[in-house]
Amino acid sequence: MESQSYLPVQPGVCMEENFFSLDDILLSHQRLPIRTEVSFPRLGFLEKSSDSPDIPMGTKMELPLWLSKGLYEQNKRMLSVELPKVYREGWRTVFNADPNVVDLHKLGPYYYGLGSQMLRFDSPENPEIAQTLLQTFIGRFRRTMDSSQNAYNEDTSALVERLDCLEKTLFVSGQCGLNSFQGWEKGQACQLSASSLVLNYRKRKITDVQS
Amino acid sequence: MSNPLSDNDPNQEECQEDDMTPADLIAKLEEAWLNEKFSPELLANQAEVVECVMEQLTHMEANLQRVKKGDPKASIHRMEIDRIRFVLCSYLRSRLQKIEKFYPHVLEKEKSRSKGEPALLSPEEFAFAKEYAANTESHLKSVALSHMPPILQTLDMLKAVPAPCLDSFVFLRVKESQENILVEPETDDQREYVVDLEEGSQHLMRYRTIAPLISSGAAQLI
Amino acid sequence: MDPSEVEFLAEKELVKIIPNFNLDKLYLIGGDLGPFNPGLPLYVPVWLALNLKQRQKCRVVPPDWMDVEKLEEMRELERNAATFTPAPCPYYMELTKLLLNHASDNIPKADEIRTLVKDIWDTRIAKLRLSADSFITQQEAHAKLDNLTLMEINTIRGFLLESLNCMYKLRSNLQPGSSKGPLADY
Repeated sequence: MESQSYLPVQPGVCMEENFFSLDDILLSHQRLPIRTEVSFPRLGFLEKSSDSPDIPMGTKMELPLWLSKGLYEQNKRMLSVELPKVYREGWRTVFNADPNVVDLHKLGPYYYGLGSQMLRFDSPENPEIAQTLLQTFIGRFRRTMDSSQNAYNEDTSALVERLDCLEKTLFVSGQCGLNSFQGWEKGQACQLSASSLVLNYRKRKITDVQS
Repeated sequence: MSNPLSDNDPNQEECQEDDMTPADLIAKLEEAWLNEKFSPELLANQAEVVECVMEQLTHMEANLQRVKKGDPKASIHRMEIDRIRFVLCSYLRSRLQKIEKFYPHVLEKEKSRSKGEPALLSPEEFAFAKEYAANTESHLKSVALSHMPPILQTLDMLKAVPAPCLDSFVFLRVKESQENILVEPETDDQREYVVDLEEGSQHLMRYRTIAPLISSGAAQLI
Repeated sequence: MDPSEVEFLAEKELVKIIPNFNLDKLYLIGGDLGPFNPGLPLYVPVWLALNLKQRQKCRVVPPDWMDVEKLEEMRELERNAATFTPAPCPYYMELTKLLLNHASDNIPKADEIRTLVKDIWDTRIAKLRLSADSFITQQEAHAKLDNLTLMEINTIRGFLLESLNCMYKLRSNLQPGSSKGPLADY
């Protein structure tokens, strides 16, 4: 039985984003290297490194994904987006050689999510990027599965350290399956425990009293 | 009068068309329970099954009222009632959970349903879905949307709330053999092929491919 | 699904008991049971058997497969086969736990049975992971899983299905245009 009273919306993965997913909202704040192709009058405050009131054409700067995407899709000639390093050919070779050695948390942490979003910006490299994303996921699957299915009752922070955000969600659901089975086997399932909703409610009451 | 637990009362039979015994009914409820638990989308409601099971339970409970205290049979009947009630509640609960999760899509599907089609939701579920939608939307409005500039105050819930993913994989057991089920290729270098699903066999495949078998009862999600 | 719900389903399995009391036939909603006569064995669902056992009203007869020799054989078979051999019973794990926890005094060599079943389980789960991995790497669209039990499927369900979902979406990236609609406008 689901003990959770709140069911969070899962991230959308790939092109589609889920409006109510917290992960997707965080993802949309990832900053991308861009180059302005026109000048943006009176928007100089967005560019901290210069005092000019305008952003001149040809400026290299960083903009969050949501803004770059919005501007790009309205008019492709307003800005060009540079591919973040981790999706470029150099890194793609590394990923294709052995996806298990890379630290996707450090390189991401939204490696798959951001990579899929990058495909919205026209680039001749898009097919290779998409292929690398898929192969990386497949190549790392066994390890994600084994670590999530074997670690019972131990500190898992070392195991998830190098996982991308998406893999981390999978790891958690693998752990959930393992833990509930182990709990059942040990007979913990027949012990009734207060739901987290009730516990949180009690906590809130105490703070209400204190304030 | 004889022992109230001794036999099935004739006046409880009204619910049982097609020669369905109470045991078949319980099996149907369990099947609906598991299907609902594992299918990615909300399935058509089994109003008739729910109604008949409820009737059986009320009938049995009424009988138990009349039983002498300490009758060893009564405790066994109560255990059975509790087990059936558990399945029933869990079934209804998993439907409510899906209604909460997919409410704009559920309501849309119900709205676009043509007259003759069976209802997706029971009247109670429909009321729940509408109320849930109204509450969610007025909450979002008072917390955020009303503080936005007017042109940003509308939110298309059908787009904002993810729709059920019919391409999800499911586990299933075949109850009536099926031939020539088309399996679509996963990658460009694969080709589509057909499989035969033998009675009693178990499979892992996409929900979309076998959804009709679930609604017809030819297969069961596990 | 919670493992306790799988156990709930297992409790419907029939098991042989030898009652020590008299009771007329029971007309349960799910079917008729009994009559119960002292010393006369009969089949009842596990949930009832365990309840009677806890009230010391019966002796439970372990199912045929719950036998050290048979389980040893199955363990060997399972270890040597590359694929899944038929499980001792569709609910072998659940019934082992239920019967050994509540009626171990009626089951000879209970501890050995527990270990054997656990060995079989571990071997099968290792195979399950192996096949899950190959299902993902081969990007297959269909797998036949005839001899898997519900409890086995259940331990990997959430993880495997979510992974397949992610993979499906990553694969849809490969077809430009298919899902690449205009910027979602809420």
